[in-house]
Amino acid sequence: MAIPVLMPRQGQSVESCIMGQWYKSVGEKVSEGDILFSYETDKASFEEEAKDDGVLLAAFFEEGDEVPVLTNVAVIGKEGELVEEFDPHKGSDATKTKDPEVEKPAGETSKVVEFEVGEGSENSRVRISPLAKNMAEKMGVDVRSVKGTGPHGRIIARDVEAAEKTTVAEAKQSRPAAKPETQKTEVFQSGNDFEIKSIPNIRKLIATAMHQSLQNSAQLTHHLSADSRQVLKLRKKFKKEYAEGTISQNVTINDLVCFAVIRALEKFPRVNTHYLGDKIKWFKKVHLGLAVDTDRGLMVPALKNADDLSVIGLSRQLQELATQARSGNINPDLLSPEEAGFTVSNLGNYGVEMFTPVINLPQTAILGVCTIVPRPMEIEDGVYGFVPMMGLSLTYDHQALDGGEATRFLAEIKNQIENLSV
Amino acid sequence: MPKNQFINPEEVRKPGQIDFNPIPVNQYNKTVEEEKENFTKEDFLRIYNDMVVIREFETMLNLIKTRGEYNGIPYNHPGPAHLSIGQEAAAVGMAYNLDVEDFIFGSHRSHGEILAKGLSAISKLDDKTLEKIMETHFDGKTLAPVKESHKGSTKELAVKFLLYGTLAEIFARETGFNRGVGGSMHAFFTPFGVYPNNAIVGGSGDISVGAALFKKVNRKKGIVVANIGDASMACGPVWEGLTFATMDQFRTLWDDDMKGGLPLIINIVNNQYGMGGQTCGETMGYDIAARVGAGLNTDQMHAERVDGYNPLAVIDAYRRKKKVLEEKRGPVLLDVLTYRFSGHSPSDASSYRTKEEIEAWEKQDSIVWFGNELEKAGIVTKEELEKIKAETTELVTNTMKLAIDDEVSPRMDMKKYPNRIGEMMFSNSSVDKMEDREPEVNHPIEENPRVKQIAKKERFMFDENGKPHSKIKTYALRDGIFEAIIDRFYKDPTLIAYGEENRDWGGAFAVYRGLTEALPYHRLFNSPISEGAIVGTAIGYAMCGGRVIPEIMYCDFLGRAGDEVFNQLPKWQAMSGNVLKMPVTIRVSVGSKYGAQHSQDWTALAAHIPGLKVVFPATPYDAKGLMNSALQGTDPVVFFESQRVYDIGEQFHEGGVPEGYYEIPLGEPDVKREGSDVTILTIGATLYRALEAAKILEEKYDFSAEVIDARSLVPFNYETVIESVKKTGRIIISGDANGRGSFLRDMASNITELAFDYLDAPPVVVGSRNWITPAHELEDYFFPQPEWFVDAIHEKIVPLKGHSAENDFSDGEQLERNAIGI
Repeated sequence: MAIPVLMPRQGQSVESCIMGQWYKSVGEKVSEGDILFSYETDKASFEEEAKDDGVLLAAFFEEGDEVPVLTNVAVIGKEGELVEEFDPHKGSDATKTKDPEVEKPAGETSKVVEFEVGEGSENSRVRISPLAKNMAEKMGVDVRSVKGTGPHGRIIARDVEAAEKTTVAEAKQSRPAAKPETQKTEVFQSGNDFEIKSIPNIRKLIATAMHQSLQNSAQLTHHLSADSRQVLKLRKKFKKEYAEGTISQNVTINDLVCFAVIRALEKFPRVNTHYLGDKIKWFKKVHLGLAVDTDRGLMVPALKNADDLSVIGLSRQLQELATQARSGNINPDLLSPEEAGFTVSNLGNYGVEMFTPVINLPQTAILGVCTIVPRPMEIEDGVYGFVPMMGLSLTYDHQALDGGEATRFLAEIKNQIENLSV
Repeated sequence: MPKNQFINPEEVRKPGQIDFNPIPVNQYNKTVEEEKENFTKEDFLRIYNDMVVIREFETMLNLIKTRGEYNGIPYNHPGPAHLSIGQEAAAVGMAYNLDVEDFIFGSHRSHGEILAKGLSAISKLDDKTLEKIMETHFDGKTLAPVKESHKGSTKELAVKFLLYGTLAEIFARETGFNRGVGGSMHAFFTPFGVYPNNAIVGGSGDISVGAALFKKVNRKKGIVVANIGDASMACGPVWEGLTFATMDQFRTLWDDDMKGGLPLIINIVNNQYGMGGQTCGETMGYDIAARVGAGLNTDQMHAERVDGYNPLAVIDAYRRKKKVLEEKRGPVLLDVLTYRFSGHSPSDASSYRTKEEIEAWEKQDSIVWFGNELEKAGIVTKEELEKIKAETTELVTNTMKLAIDDEVSPRMDMKKYPNRIGEMMFSNSSVDKMEDREPEVNHPIEENPRVKQIAKKERFMFDENGKPHSKIKTYALRDGIFEAIIDRFYKDPTLIAYGEENRDWGGAFAVYRGLTEALPYHRLFNSPISEGAIVGTAIGYAMCGGRVIPEIMYCDFLGRAGDEVFNQLPKWQAMSGNVLKMPVTIRVSVGSKYGAQHSQDWTALAAHIPGLKVVFPATPYDAKGLMNSALQGTDPVVFFESQRVYDIGEQFHEGGVPEGYYEIPLGEPDVKREGSDVTILTIGATLYRALEAAKILEEKYDFSAEVIDARSLVPFNYETVIESVKKTGRIIISGDANGRGSFLRDMASNITELAFDYLDAPPVVVGSRNWITPAHELEDYFFPQPEWFVDAIHEKIVPLKGHSAENDFSDGEQLERNAIGI
């Protein structure tokens, strides 16, 4: 029996996807697990596998079409099976062929059937001042989610200003549905020695988020280094066990640092927060954001309930998230900065000795993990040696945290790293 | 109200009676034969010729209007043509004895007068002067078409020039006397002493009085003739002009050689109809229009009815009346009886009169009759008369050919110069004085008591500790206006000022205190309570080349000068093709406390009319600087002043009001208080309530208001305001005018269009209520108050934390008020 292939729903806020490439053509045989087609949201691209064996009987959309989620895009079945009933275009075609004008007996007045047309979200009337509208556009604030405090609930400038701090997520998730953005680069102008090109959506979103972060918070960074002998020892142990096959997961230094950070966050709930202007959101669990460098740009997926995990579990899940982010099939919902309470950004692999990470608003702080540098230290009375020290850079929002608290938190991370037990 | 004239109850309460002198009616009774001693053959022929020229010119227009052709040449003239066929003897008789420097003013039916006066002037001017006049008018543009093919004398060329300039003007050609922007009812040519004709019935009734005033005050040669219709005697402005012209003070109070009446003849061209209404027997009660003179002064205006169907009778009357004027016993009123064969306009079917009546008058046609008389007296032959007619037909035909030729007589190229007429609205010149001679004053300016008193005043409102000086010691807004005006009186000899209670009283609000001491009567005087004539005479005065400050005591009285302010003052610079300038600054005082007919801000009415500049300063520094600019310019300025702030000191300009001369350009608003959250733009004295509102907003709501004083309404540079709105995103526009149809609304609409993308809320107008102004004790419910601004911001712009509005600025209320019209 023929079965339809649906356009999957990727995340709560996704309403439609752009059809990508077809890997199978109509009439071709497919097996379960074969990649049928690719598709993308504004944020990531995905591949859809066949869930059955059979023949691709029909493909209802072409590359570039915007397809509402959960719509039939293809049919798999046995050769000769009818596919018409699955065609999402069928309904509209049918009404087109049925012309009531032709069938209507002469002289009879036509009945006017009134029905309500549901307003698409892009059509719904938003009361907003021209200034607020322009500000929202510039700041990337989605006005549909802003509550207006002007006369008649009109969104006015101050509402956009307030929303700006908390709407990066919406800005990332929403897009004008009528104008699907593809990731293709358009060259606007080129000269002998330059080209002016459009920038992909994700670049715009990152730009907005970063700019807003610096504009709308009071960021400063404390640097400190931690003795990493314990971490290196553990890393060495896990490496050996992984090589021997004792464990299935290759636990990295970053995993160990994250593990230490989670422990520190449990002790400093004030850092595990979102600063919302006039209030603060306190997290009871640790949802850890991990900065991942991808071809498309920086992505920060959130690892939910990271405090529940063992170091192996943590390592595995972090790796999975990073891979998904790099391949573009991450659940977009996890990319919202609202999802994580705190973020770790590790540039140690690149040899960075010190940096000032930018806070992923509305989060309160972010930890930058730097490379390990051997430094002279007093080991015993008067005896000095070189100790591998790991640089830690904590950027925090001074609106939410004071220097003392931030320093104590950073010291606690150092403490956790130096005395890490797993 | 001069103190030197004692009103003695013993005298004025005595019984007695008024004796009128008989008013002559058609008393001229000489024959042509008898007049031979006064006129040569050429004189007689000139009279005949001029009448024939007018008849043929008007006939041509009548045929074009009614048949679409003249002499086989087709043409369509969609514009007006109020013709005077039948009235030629009256026009020629009036103009015959006038000198070039005598001015005539006319009506909508004045083609005949233009031609008569023009032909009269041509006959009196020497060739050299004529050539200069023709060649300099618009750099010879009007002359060029007729000059090209001309063979003959300069005078003959001048006649062609006169006919062509007039006809091209009627046909809206750029080569016309007024570049084609005046048209049939407004055409004129000042070098021949032809001053503006007027499409408003009786429009010349007060303007001409101002021209006579100019001649008198500036000791110019010549007289002024106001050609107005018999029906215009019913118009208020004509009556006002007559009362102004017959004021006793010319004979009783004016000094030395200024003593004596105006050199003015009110020439009623009595064709016995006002459109279709018969002025004798139907629409008026004077029976014979000359009767009116008896009601105006003890001289009865030397009134007389003259038979306007006999050119010699009119010439005789003018010879006699000119003498009266030379003896400074004017003004004179003449009732020149005539009749028009043509209708009011070519569309008039003459349904109001019988065919018999028209035929009876045609039988007495003055041209036919006069020709016959000349023939009978053996002065001319029939052939000579026929020759004149034939030559005239040829002249008029050729004139028409030239005037309808689009190549020779193009219209203004509006495609190429789309703003051409706009540029004509204002002259925008900067002129210290309109004539170069010593101004007549009573003493050096330093000796003036008011000037001395002001010298002791504090020119900034606050002392170094920020405490205000006492009122009496503070240099006030009225002092600023005074300083600018007295300065100009000592610069410009032509400057005069008048209005109600302008002299001894010092103006109702003491702005002019001290001017009486400084100026002779003829430069500053009290007018009758005739706002129409106050403004109308000022227009005539300025047209002739003088600068003048008429005063309207209360803005509410502007309506009394409606035609003058709305139709005459703003239009003449452009309608003249920029031949005329209009340096008139009308001072208009805006009241309060005195209820519904003494407290209105009508700035919107003035601002609505194209051609007026409108200012409304609210600080002494601005008042002086703007008055200086107004008086330096040559455009009509309506200068509004608020009675609320005549005594206010200068609070903004650092160092106080400068003692010396300075100008503030018209049209530049001024930021009086800087702020960042909302802009408040005010017109007039509302500024001070806006500043109070700004204080409340700052102190109570931490909301920072920028306050801009518009200072001017026309012109107005929006850039300052738009810059402010870009900063604040919000704006309130406020003034004391009632909101509906106010200039505040115009500003709101412009700002919306110019700054839409920067607005966080619609521009909100806070004007007065659309009611009558109540008594002073209730005024706070009518005029914008500081709290209104706060409430308007709260309800329409951005809700203020912790505020609850007392005044209803809700949409519902706005809808409701508009729905019921209040």
